[in-house]
Amino acid sequence: MDDQTSILKDQLYSACEQKLDPDGEGEKAYDRLFSQDDLFSLDVVPPKDLKTLMKLISMLTNDYLFIPVNTNNGPAWRLRPEIEAAKYSSLSVNQRMIYSLIDNAGADGVWNQQLRLRTNMEENLVKKVLKELEGKRLISSFTHVENAARKMWIKSSIKPSLKATGGAWFTDGDLDESLIGMISEVVYTLVKKHGAYFSDGSRSKARDGSISPVLPKKVIKGSTSDAALAARGKKRTADDMEVDGAPEVPVSPSKARKAKSGPVLLPMPAGYKGYITVPELTAQIARSNVTKGTKLKESDIKQLLDVLVYDGRIEYVKVGKREGYRASRISKQDPTFNVSLDTVDTDEPRHNGLTTAPCGRCPVFDLCEEGGPVWAGGCEYFDRWLI
Amino acid sequence: MIVTKNAAELCVLLIGELYGQLPSRLFAVLLAKGRSTIKHLAQNTSMGPRMVRHGLVVLTQQNLIYHYTDPDTSITHFEANSEAAYNIVRHGKILNIIHRNYGEDSARLVHQVLNLGHVKISDLAKQYKTARQEPGTANGAANGISSDTADNDSDYEGEALDMVAQLIAVGILEPVNARTFQSPEDVRAGIEKDIMESYPSGVRGAKQKADFFQKSAEAWKEYQDESRELKRQLEGHYLFGPGAKRRKLANGSKTNGFKATNTHMLDEEKREVAVRVNYDKCLVELRNHRLTRYVADEIGEVTAQVYEAALSALAKNVNICQASEKSNEDTFVTRSVTTMEIFENLRPGLDVSSGIGKAPPTKINAKSAERIQANQPGHDAEGEGEDMSEDDDDDDDDDDIEMSNGVQSNGVHETETKITSGHNGSRETKVKFEENVPVAPTKADRLQQMRQHLLLLAESNRRFIRHCGMRDQGEWTVDFDSLMRTLKYSEIDTLIEQTFGKPGLRLTRILRAKGKLDDKTLPALALMKKADVHVKMVEMELAGFLEVQEVPRDNNRTASRTLFLWFFEEEKLLTRVTDNTYKSMVRHLQRLEVERRRKKNVLAVVERKDVQGMEEEKLRGDVYNEYREFLDIESKLLGQVDRLDDLVSVFQNY
Repeated sequence: MDDQTSILKDQLYSACEQKLDPDGEGEKAYDRLFSQDDLFSLDVVPPKDLKTLMKLISMLTNDYLFIPVNTNNGPAWRLRPEIEAAKYSSLSVNQRMIYSLIDNAGADGVWNQQLRLRTNMEENLVKKVLKELEGKRLISSFTHVENAARKMWIKSSIKPSLKATGGAWFTDGDLDESLIGMISEVVYTLVKKHGAYFSDGSRSKARDGSISPVLPKKVIKGSTSDAALAARGKKRTADDMEVDGAPEVPVSPSKARKAKSGPVLLPMPAGYKGYITVPELTAQIARSNVTKGTKLKESDIKQLLDVLVYDGRIEYVKVGKREGYRASRISKQDPTFNVSLDTVDTDEPRHNGLTTAPCGRCPVFDLCEEGGPVWAGGCEYFDRWLI
Repeated sequence: MIVTKNAAELCVLLIGELYGQLPSRLFAVLLAKGRSTIKHLAQNTSMGPRMVRHGLVVLTQQNLIYHYTDPDTSITHFEANSEAAYNIVRHGKILNIIHRNYGEDSARLVHQVLNLGHVKISDLAKQYKTARQEPGTANGAANGISSDTADNDSDYEGEALDMVAQLIAVGILEPVNARTFQSPEDVRAGIEKDIMESYPSGVRGAKQKADFFQKSAEAWKEYQDESRELKRQLEGHYLFGPGAKRRKLANGSKTNGFKATNTHMLDEEKREVAVRVNYDKCLVELRNHRLTRYVADEIGEVTAQVYEAALSALAKNVNICQASEKSNEDTFVTRSVTTMEIFENLRPGLDVSSGIGKAPPTKINAKSAERIQANQPGHDAEGEGEDMSEDDDDDDDDDDIEMSNGVQSNGVHETETKITSGHNGSRETKVKFEENVPVAPTKADRLQQMRQHLLLLAESNRRFIRHCGMRDQGEWTVDFDSLMRTLKYSEIDTLIEQTFGKPGLRLTRILRAKGKLDDKTLPALALMKKADVHVKMVEMELAGFLEVQEVPRDNNRTASRTLFLWFFEEEKLLTRVTDNTYKSMVRHLQRLEVERRRKKNVLAVVERKDVQGMEEEKLRGDVYNEYREFLDIESKLLGQVDRLDDLVSVFQNY
């Protein structure tokens, strides 16, 4: 190797490096590919001097500074940073083979088994080499979310990809449920706060007054006809029915304010623009620093919001072009904020006929039959329910 | 209604509860064996034909069976009407809703009709009079129309006639004719047979076939119009005529609904018409009530009341809940109502200014709130999207809002609110809210405040109401189909949440939104551990809430090489849950029977004529307590049956 080619080689490499970072911002896009024409256009090698270029390229490849890549438009080359290349030169042949595989796999990592198959080495040898590389702190192992049993290897200088770790909600390959729970609560509280009107209950008396509750009439002096009618369950006397439509006496505001019946949350008027959006939520959570360092991206928050929507806790609302979220069934929500989602149900649970009766949740409902092992007359769930 | 084993059992039990063992046994046989003659029935029940006839009379009177006499052989076939039998469970609710919407006296009248099955108008009026004159005794008497000769007190009779006319006009009562007692299939067959007579050589060729179908469709429509003719005559006067407005105002607020005596609407001839309760229309009213409750749950009580007003304004045009064979096209078109019409239906006592939070006008995007959706979403999804993007463009330019909301909710000390009506902004009203000064809201304020509730309803994801036009301060309509779908889902969700907890709800809702999903994607979307997801899914699959499909990736069909796709099959689940609900109702009624047997001794004493009506005085202390206990259990069981029926209604009928 004469001096001139050596100089040319360095020139070519630095010219390529320059190309990677044309603005001089310090961030180099190492995944950019150079074709033969690209290399000629750098003005390092005289035009049409294929022989010299080939020589230079093979030298650079041998120095691990160039990585040959096959593309649809013929061969091309990728650059490897000099520090990385230096690592290669200190390795043995076997180590180099394994390391290059791990290097090429990038952030996704490689599985032990795959290394063995690709290199055609003995399993023991692979193990040995991996151990050596690990000793040199060149590679490290991690677990993949989708396959926790597989031992995956990655360069120690980079972090596993999102696909491999599962995203922000995973810690060491495990779903971090406590983190999810905590952030959910924060998100939910924020959504609730921004999408509802907090009324201290000053007017709620007037509000409640507009409907009279249905009070079941007690059959104390019930006549037989009463009892018989009740027996059929369909007819009730007129007194039982809701007295409705009686004109409401307007309650004066001052009087109403005295009679507080507890704070409530009220829905916002239609077209309200204050419903919190994903970017706003992300910013607020970042500011509050609840995640202690781990940065949550908008996509992470969106994922969490989706889950809350599926849970029926919040709902998506689009006002104009603003896509926000608000708590669902707002007037049924607990008006106090900062409640834990796990410990208490934040809203009045819904019920229907099947959830309140014993039959709806009976474990042996399918067996229940007149004359069978389980039947209505001897049902212990009914016994308990009717007491 | 699909008559499953449980549904059949339920119908029989209900008839047994109300009309006794004889009719219920006959009905059971009719359900099990299908169309039968008296001979067959006698054979299958091991009863004499005389007994069978007795039972059939009761069933026919209540319209619980269809009968059809073959004109050639003059043999009569009987067939069970399971819908009618099931509707027995709704009697109480129907009376309740009529009392609510049309006043106490109307409810009393309908009660009579329900007791009697079907009855001539003149007899009904007489019966009503007797009931009013001696309220104690006549109430329970179901059979035998006691003809009272005292004609001097004709006020009650006139009142009754007027109410009947009104109820027919509204559609709660409907006249019966001979064909009402035939099953729809028989009627159709009869119609087709009549038409066939004009084709002596049979229907041949495409042209004749089309002709035939058109004729039979026309005849079918004619048949349906027949029963509506009286309604049509009356509704001109009662719903849209000069007297309509006065009545409408009287409806809700006064218990004694319509006390006008223009009995001339029902002349002597018309009084001979027999009427029965039209369950279809009653279901419409019940559905309105159910939807109101739904809104109360989702948004709030005041908004629900506004919604109720909107629904009752709409209900005038809605005679049946679901478009089916029974209805012809034109009756099912849901028309829109204007804001003014809704306003007229609004209860005067309702404080429409409450129930919505307040926000500064700058925070309101009026354009988005007032967005008009002329077409049903889904029908014209593309167009809607474009509309929205246009809106968006506008928003960029003018962020200052010209409309402030007229809703000032809580203790505003001195606020001036500028109300301009919507887009046109032609009218401006200044409202001053001051503390301690009872503000009598003007009509315009109330109207604007009510509109806010309507807009809120329109904005909701549930699509309670659709703002479909600008005429007369806005037109509104309700897309019942899609709304009932969401209501069904919400009931299923409740069931799932209560049975499997929040995680179960989350997983099923993901599946509903995304379709079929495999084991890998589901945990990622739900942010749950794979093992937890698996346990939950299997649990729900075993309970029949979810389905799983196996897709082998290669020919080996080993478990490891197979994709397991979970999915949520709505139809199947609905049928299943409905049937479970029937079964549950059956169990409640059976349990009631058991409880009755347990307290046989007490009930025997209570049944005695000298004890009836004064149990408290006549019964010994411990016996009376036991009786009270029984009544508690009874009301609990029957109340639960009613709630279960709510579910069935949502799943099947609304």
